[in-house]
Amino acid sequence: MVENFLEGLAYLPVQRALFACILCGLSCSLLSVFIVLMRLPLIGVSMSHAALAGAVVGMLVGFNPVVCGFVLCLIVAGALGPVSDRSRMAPENMLGIFFSLLMGIAFLGMGILTRTKAGALSLMWGNLLSLSRADLVILSIITAVLLVFIISFFKEIRAVLFHRKLAASSGVPERAVYYTLLLLTGAVVSSNLSTVGGLLIFALLIQPGATALQLTYDLKVFFLIAAGAGIGACVAGLLISYLFDLPSGASVVLVATLIFAVAYAFSPKRLSGKRFQRNPHYEQDTRRNLPGEKTVF
Amino acid sequence: MHTPVIELDGVSVRKSNRVLLDGINLRVSRNEFVGIIGPNGAGKTTLLNVVSGFEKFDGLLRLFGHAESCNRARETRMRVGYVPQSFEIDPSFPILAMEAVMTGAYGRAGFFRSPGESERERAMELLEMMRIAHLARRPLGHLSGGERQKISLARAIIQRPEILLLDEPISNLDIAVQMEVLNLISDLYERESMAVLYITHDFNLLPKCMRRAVFVNHGRVVFDGDIDLALTGPMLSGLFEYSLETFERNGRRFVSFG
Repeated sequence: MVENFLEGLAYLPVQRALFACILCGLSCSLLSVFIVLMRLPLIGVSMSHAALAGAVVGMLVGFNPVVCGFVLCLIVAGALGPVSDRSRMAPENMLGIFFSLLMGIAFLGMGILTRTKAGALSLMWGNLLSLSRADLVILSIITAVLLVFIISFFKEIRAVLFHRKLAASSGVPERAVYYTLLLLTGAVVSSNLSTVGGLLIFALLIQPGATALQLTYDLKVFFLIAAGAGIGACVAGLLISYLFDLPSGASVVLVATLIFAVAYAFSPKRLSGKRFQRNPHYEQDTRRNLPGEKTVF
Repeated sequence: MHTPVIELDGVSVRKSNRVLLDGINLRVSRNEFVGIIGPNGAGKTTLLNVVSGFEKFDGLLRLFGHAESCNRARETRMRVGYVPQSFEIDPSFPILAMEAVMTGAYGRAGFFRSPGESERERAMELLEMMRIAHLARRPLGHLSGGERQKISLARAIIQRPEILLLDEPISNLDIAVQMEVLNLISDLYERESMAVLYITHDFNLLPKCMRRAVFVNHGRVVFDGDIDLALTGPMLSGLFEYSLETFERNGRRFVSFG
């Protein structure tokens, strides 16, 4: 069966799908660290609905729906941070408002549209086997920008994830870091609409980070585990969908969920918590490291 | 009298037609330890937020002789340390106690550079002074409230602040830990050369080094002077609009209901 897949790799659409899977898994999983630790689970679904609303508006006014979706996604991502900061509303509440507003715009537009809505709705499903060269180039550039940003500003990101106000008070440009992460989330979601689609990307923006949360206290390892889980889920999902002729997006999401379930079941952090409950002096024992704990700062 | 490092001239904060600060005037010199005292809702935390740059305001604020607004340079922010009342953290959050302390040095290290070995040694020295060096490799979320508050203090000190802002730093701790953290604050003040603004509404637990008290009520400074003049029954009764009296024991002054 695997030989079939390897033979399939001779074909350009399958090569592109595999490459896109790796990039999609990498970009989404790196962002999932930020989304899980900042507790912004709604951000993925809000961004994808921004894309849907943009696409519908594009179709209504006669512009390219994909480009309009991409642009609105970036606008929403760019506006979210400043709007929630200025209104002094929690970002998750602001996301809920953005989400419902964008859904309202999308559905209103679809109600007005008299012709087929397939162009807009295709953004919600994606199709790995019909990717163009331009799709891959955009995805590669955005993934590279994200990777360079995380590597270059790792310590600033750590400070912001830990506590925004304290980060600002110690001279870390927390707003710039936070807003850039939000903007990159919009860029990653919009560039992946043609791969896994706007609905299923939600899972990839949560589950790799949630998987890493079960396994380590080290933020660098956290990013690596998330990236491994994300890429693994995407590639394994693609393989399964090819071998068993299943929808690729759904396969990817189900594999990601399975990886999370295994991490949760065998989570050393969770198990050490149980050990702590049994032995209240566990914290006092300073000679042992906790699982996933490193000694280098 | 040293040069003031904090100067507020007619600073006001208004939100939704509510006046949180009403024309505050205040000068704090280098090496001065000032207690900002007042009832709940008096405007103490708003005042601290103005100085730390987290609150928009009208009026004039000068830090280190330069006029500042809410949006200020990174270099100025680095010179002002901040310790919140407390902070909650998910027990599984991926940060160790030592890493949390080191985040205080990130701003000073600048972009693309990590804090050096000397900063790490200083962080460890601070943790030893606070008697929590053995917890350096523990996840921050596994520490108790008192241990987390010591980490928060160490994080602010490693920043090498010239102004330290303490927002009710012991209010969520038990009595034994309160005394320990208070003594620690006094020791740090003696050791580091900095001005300290210490917010509290508990006068039975004041650091020994606090010699000046500023009473704030309804967004205004209603008293600014020596702590011994401040801690009197009539003065406190007026501030809290409740009958209070003071008594001395073992050379310390305490406040009780009148």
